[in-house]
Amino acid sequence: MGRFISPVKIFLTLIFLLVIGLPFLALLLSSVSLNWQWPEVLPEAFSWRAWDYVLFGSSGTWQAIGTSLVIALVVTAVNIVLAVPAANALARYQFRGKWLMEAIIFAPIIIPPFVAVMGIHLTFLRLGLTETIFGVVLAHLSPTLPYMVRAVVISYNTLAVDWENQARMLGAGAIQRFLHVVLPHLLPGIAAGASLSILISLSQYLITFIIGSGQVITLPILLFPFISGGDPAVAAAYSLMFAGLAIVTLLGMDIALKNYYQTKKTVTGKI
Amino acid sequence: MWRKSKPYLLLLPAIATIVLLFFGGLFDGLLKSLGYFPAIGETRLELTAYAEVVQSDGFWESLELTLRVAVLSSILAGILGGILGVSLFLLNEASKTGQARVWHRLFQLPLTIPHLVGGYVVVLLFMQSGLLSKLLASLGVIDELTDFPVLVNDPFGWGIILTYAWKEAPFVSLLIYPVLSRIQRSWRDVSRVFGAEKWNFIREIVLPVMLPSWTIAVFIVFVFTFSAFEVPFLLGVTYPGMLPVYSYQLYTSGTFADRPEALAVNIILAALTIALGLVIYYFSKRWQVWKGWA
Repeated sequence: MGRFISPVKIFLTLIFLLVIGLPFLALLLSSVSLNWQWPEVLPEAFSWRAWDYVLFGSSGTWQAIGTSLVIALVVTAVNIVLAVPAANALARYQFRGKWLMEAIIFAPIIIPPFVAVMGIHLTFLRLGLTETIFGVVLAHLSPTLPYMVRAVVISYNTLAVDWENQARMLGAGAIQRFLHVVLPHLLPGIAAGASLSILISLSQYLITFIIGSGQVITLPILLFPFISGGDPAVAAAYSLMFAGLAIVTLLGMDIALKNYYQTKKTVTGKI
Repeated sequence: MWRKSKPYLLLLPAIATIVLLFFGGLFDGLLKSLGYFPAIGETRLELTAYAEVVQSDGFWESLELTLRVAVLSSILAGILGGILGVSLFLLNEASKTGQARVWHRLFQLPLTIPHLVGGYVVVLLFMQSGLLSKLLASLGVIDELTDFPVLVNDPFGWGIILTYAWKEAPFVSLLIYPVLSRIQRSWRDVSRVFGAEKWNFIREIVLPVMLPSWTIAVFIVFVFTFSAFEVPFLLGVTYPGMLPVYSYQLYTSGTFADRPEALAVNIILAALTIALGLVIYYFSKRWQVWKGWA
């Protein structure tokens, strides 16, 4: 068996270095390079210029990060409120027209959402919703909501109705049953859906650009001019920040969830 | 009465949101693509925009590029993701520790990277003065900058294809992994009793087991690439652009009269993705692809 393990591991390590290590290295080197000329494999001069501009210059980085996060978090909060009851219905009830409801909710996964956004653009303009954060939040809802519903449905599928019935027999009201029985069980699903929702919202460019009309500046909007032919060092620094923001948000969600379950375990352990 | 209407009431907020914001937008776009602009007194429905679109060379060249890029990137992502998924599965088979899980997570990284960043990584690595070209030059493989092929902002779409192959390969492996993990350890033992080599085991058992979900995964990547905007906008050429880029160019740079055409391109694009979506839905139900998932 020992001979069997190593080739796979070596192969995976090589692939990892090639497809993840190399791109990361390229971004990192580019962000601290000064006049990196062809054919130097490593830059001859280094400088913090790009990072200085991105982090401390009057480049609007922090404001863009703030705007991106506010939009992503509001979108996700709205998604949770909409998705939990919807997932309940889809997972636990059999009713007429269910296929149609599923088709409607999951349609934005297949049909590109920018089609709907371009279509509704003039109407948003008339309603005064363009150039506002609120308008962008509305535009981000349909590409994200289906993933949230999907994630919560999976959680509901593993929750037997017996648990709630038992709580009911013990005298728990509807709100108590939801808070103490249903919600803790759904939490991993909600967290998974929230991660997806945040990630998708953070990386939207076209939708934000159409509805925000260049006035709502999120990180991708700020980044685009640099990566399409701007200063390569600044572009690399912004790219690393953007990727980092997505990864940190996901990790944060993961850790928060793990902590939640750990404290839960100790609490029940004491009882 | 309450019992019967309860699921509908539970669904109401989510359905209303999608119908209003998404289908409302599609319908709004459809009406405008038919030339319905009450604001400027146009209330007749005409197919002129569609006629202009199907008669223009720009549309057909754009469609051709879109199909080529979507086919090549989904096949490449499928091959890479398949190899990755099988390797991770073999690693998991061989080790009892959680090692395979760590590997799995590491390889999911490209999935979390925003598309624009993925596109820029391809620019940095593959443009004519990019890192790969520098490496080849220092190794003496190429002498001039121009010896390196044009892979970014090229009319064929290689830059877009590379970005999607890179970003979606982990997606394919993520989708086939649950199916692979249903292969029992004992099957491997049985195959060894019958004298099967590792390669036979992969060919006779692993590949057939993963084939249905692999096909669906590749198809999903195809639809994603088909309707993608950011990466083709960044890595493509101005003409021909992929369909979403083509529509965006019509919508923004043209005159007011071009807008119905842009929206007509969108509606055609939406119709194509719906058709592809139905194909995916049909086969995934038929092959029970999601069984290991939900």
